[in-house]
Amino acid sequence: MSTKLPSARDLAIRQALGWPSSAVAANPSVATSHGEEPRVRATPRETTILVDRLLLLPIIAFILLLGGCERPRGIVLWHAYNDAERAALETTAARWNAEHGDQPIELVAVPYGAFADKITSAIPGGNGPDLFIYPQDRIGDWADSGVIEPIEFWVDDARADRFTHESVESMAYKGSLWGLPMTVKSLALFYRTDLAPAPPRTTDELIALAPAMRARSGYAVAYANVDLYGHAPWLFGHGGKIMDDEGRLAIATPEAANAMRFARELVENGVTPPQAEGPLVATLFNEKKAATVISGPWFIADIAAGVPWKVAELPVITPTGKHATPFLGAEGLLMSARARDKDAAFAVMDALTSDVAAIERAKIARQVVPNPHAYDDADVAKDPVLVAFRAQLEHTIAMPKGPAMRMVWTPYKTALGEVLAGRANASDQLRAVEREVQSYLDGVK
Amino acid sequence: MTHPVVKQLRDFALGAALAILIATIAFVAVRNKELAKSQIDRANAGIEAVVSNRTPLPDVHAVLVGDAKPSPKHPYLRRRNVRESGATPTWRPLVVGGSPDDKLIYDAANRIERLAADHKKTAFAELLPDGSGRAIAARAVSPGKIAIAITPPAHPAPYPLLVFIGLLGLGAALSAAGALVGGRARLAGTFAGIATLAIPCVLWRAPVASTAIVLVAAAFASMQLAQITDRLASGFRAHRAAIGFLAPAAISMFVLVAAPFVIGLVLGFYDHHHGEWTFVGLDNFGEILSGGGRPLDDPLNFWFILGVTVLWTIANVALHVTIGVALALVLSRKWLRGRGIFRMLLILPWAVPNYITALIWKGMFTGEYGAINSLLHEVGLDGVSWFSSWASAFAANVATNTWLGFPFMMVVALGALETIPRELYEAASVDGASAWQRFRHITLPHLRPALGPAVALGSIWTFNMFNVIFLVSGGAPGGSTNILVTDAYRWAFERGERYGMAAAYATIIFLILLLWTVFGTRIVRRKEEA
Repeated sequence: MSTKLPSARDLAIRQALGWPSSAVAANPSVATSHGEEPRVRATPRETTILVDRLLLLPIIAFILLLGGCERPRGIVLWHAYNDAERAALETTAARWNAEHGDQPIELVAVPYGAFADKITSAIPGGNGPDLFIYPQDRIGDWADSGVIEPIEFWVDDARADRFTHESVESMAYKGSLWGLPMTVKSLALFYRTDLAPAPPRTTDELIALAPAMRARSGYAVAYANVDLYGHAPWLFGHGGKIMDDEGRLAIATPEAANAMRFARELVENGVTPPQAEGPLVATLFNEKKAATVISGPWFIADIAAGVPWKVAELPVITPTGKHATPFLGAEGLLMSARARDKDAAFAVMDALTSDVAAIERAKIARQVVPNPHAYDDADVAKDPVLVAFRAQLEHTIAMPKGPAMRMVWTPYKTALGEVLAGRANASDQLRAVEREVQSYLDGVK
Repeated sequence: MTHPVVKQLRDFALGAALAILIATIAFVAVRNKELAKSQIDRANAGIEAVVSNRTPLPDVHAVLVGDAKPSPKHPYLRRRNVRESGATPTWRPLVVGGSPDDKLIYDAANRIERLAADHKKTAFAELLPDGSGRAIAARAVSPGKIAIAITPPAHPAPYPLLVFIGLLGLGAALSAAGALVGGRARLAGTFAGIATLAIPCVLWRAPVASTAIVLVAAAFASMQLAQITDRLASGFRAHRAAIGFLAPAAISMFVLVAAPFVIGLVLGFYDHHHGEWTFVGLDNFGEILSGGGRPLDDPLNFWFILGVTVLWTIANVALHVTIGVALALVLSRKWLRGRGIFRMLLILPWAVPNYITALIWKGMFTGEYGAINSLLHEVGLDGVSWFSSWASAFAANVATNTWLGFPFMMVVALGALETIPRELYEAASVDGASAWQRFRHITLPHLRPALGPAVALGSIWTFNMFNVIFLVSGGAPGGSTNILVTDAYRWAFERGERYGMAAAYATIIFLILLLWTVFGTRIVRRKEEA
């Protein structure tokens, strides 16, 4: 019985797919040799020689392939940009290449999902890029494990002053500088001008939008509230922390608990939807179910055509009188510790982060660039979105760069989920988060 | 009949090839280690010379670096001065365009300060990672003064080709002489010939390699004694074509399956921290199996996750088999119109990449606006917050995976149903068997041999179904719907890159599945025989 199995299964798959299962299909040689003079069959000896020769072919091809795999001679730069951002980068690179034919920039697009892991594994093996663009949150890890090159040797005050203070500081770690900022990203307040003619300046004004919105079964504000990144404006606006000044965990503080309770009240009072995430936030905004949205520059791409919208600074939190303070994420241009010609690589870094390049990126890709002088450009200054995000930069907090930060996201998200659903107490949950992260930190010692 | 000397040289060539491979690895390892050591010693000696104000070593670039002066605006931009050791001790700034080593010296000085702050270390010495063979050493000598030395490039000793050729000739002569004498001398010749190649390894003080080569020699001698080499040679000649065809597959299986598997096993015994691997023995396994000191109902405890995983596997496979067999029974009816279309439609979930399916289901389960809750609202029910409680999140995962898994069981069952002879049903009907009796006593026993392996395979797939868990519930709430593979992932990428822990997890998963395959199939076979 069991010996018949493979053929039975084969048959079933054929039938299931509606393929013919006749003898002709199963035995193609019958069909092909029909009506023809059967070919003279090779003797076993000849077959062997033939096989030997056939085996040689792939080997030769492989050797030729190895010969073709010469290392590129330019400065290799990995990025995860698409569309307009990529076009802007290519424009700047093309200008560089026209002037520096001997050291061209070779741009390589690498999918964002695999980017960090590729960097971590490729550079120590000597196979990585010379330069790459990545947000600052991995700088701590990569600096500690010798993946990236410190660059402060080449940087003087004049170069550092090209950028806003917070943005260049976000590239510093343990007394060294590890990259130059390309763009800065933070959350800000998007609002529909048909639902909220003026942007709410305080959270009370924001909450005041709720009754009218509830009437049309919508919300005053939508944001990714179970994510620490989305929750951060409330956390830091209440004076909460992730780490203290000495880099120790300071998750479970009364201020952080207040921030969580504040977020819970927003859900409880129907000001914001429970458990919102990116796609839902965009849908609500586009379908007139959310008057405002807290999100970053990437949200612009999700806004449907015909929606009347503007961007403003995040409101002041009424109970504390402080500005809602989101994380500042900076994308930096970093150098591999194994870059071949480091002086030339730095020259490229310098050129790609210059004011001229920044203006190009701001105009073509609408990137929020960290170069204050870029906003002196008439076209950039006219862009209300860039100006609003630039204003928000004044009230941001640099994201911690130590390895501990990356262990915080998942437990914090869990805790937020529990508290916002009203199932758990904020202080208990925060203590649990701190305990869990601390246990991972102790584990790696 | 081949000449005995030719046969002898054939055996020797094989053994010698193995021995040379081992000797080459030993050579590379020993030489690289020695080179690194001598270069680092040289760099450290250069530092000593600077510290004690002795005459500097020739070639070694040794300097003293002064305190850092941070820029008032940007504390991480620091300027440093350097004093070359030698006749004219003057201080000059470390700047772009200064000496070619300025960047290395500047970075080493800053690194010493980081090391002091992090690990209370005051010195380091290592080879530069650029492959030049240069070594750098740095040491904090007094407050604000750091001594740094960089050696010139060094190249490892060239490969001793002539030594190997000479030894090969000697070995070949020894073994040929053995063959000419004949009898037991042939074995002695083989042993002596191959073992000759251990001599350089002994000189390099590589005991493991020398032992390995002597063992290879002994193995070849005893293989000759049992005439295995002759039989292998004739077998190889007879099946040359077959081996040629098998070789590509065998090589790729080795590179893609065997090698990563072994590496994974070994990593489980190491701990990874900031790019450094330390051997920790069974610590990772101990931490996992003890639950890391967490209570049993903690979702991070291994036994809790194992329980969830087993439950997940049983629930899924049971649903896959039930739904798959039921649909196969319906679709095997000859009178059903449009069977082809139905089959096509029902196989569709299998044809769509499973992460896409998982993302679609995730969307359907989300909060208030997901398709499922919208449907519930339509019929006047309250929406369910799917990922807030364990049971509903688990149910959402199971629903997704059931959708993905039943077509496979259906196809297998359909195939098996086709092979059941119609006469059996006819005979049973004549004997007055009811529909249920026909199903129970004819259909089921005939399905079992096909479904057995399918269930074994399906349970392994489900046990390791990373995509569904990771993309649908993501472990929510509170990590309690994680299964072993998703938790292993979190150890590797979310909890401080503890690759060793993740590898140990993978090993444990492998052992569980191995036990299940061995005993599970045995149970199925016993049932078959019964």
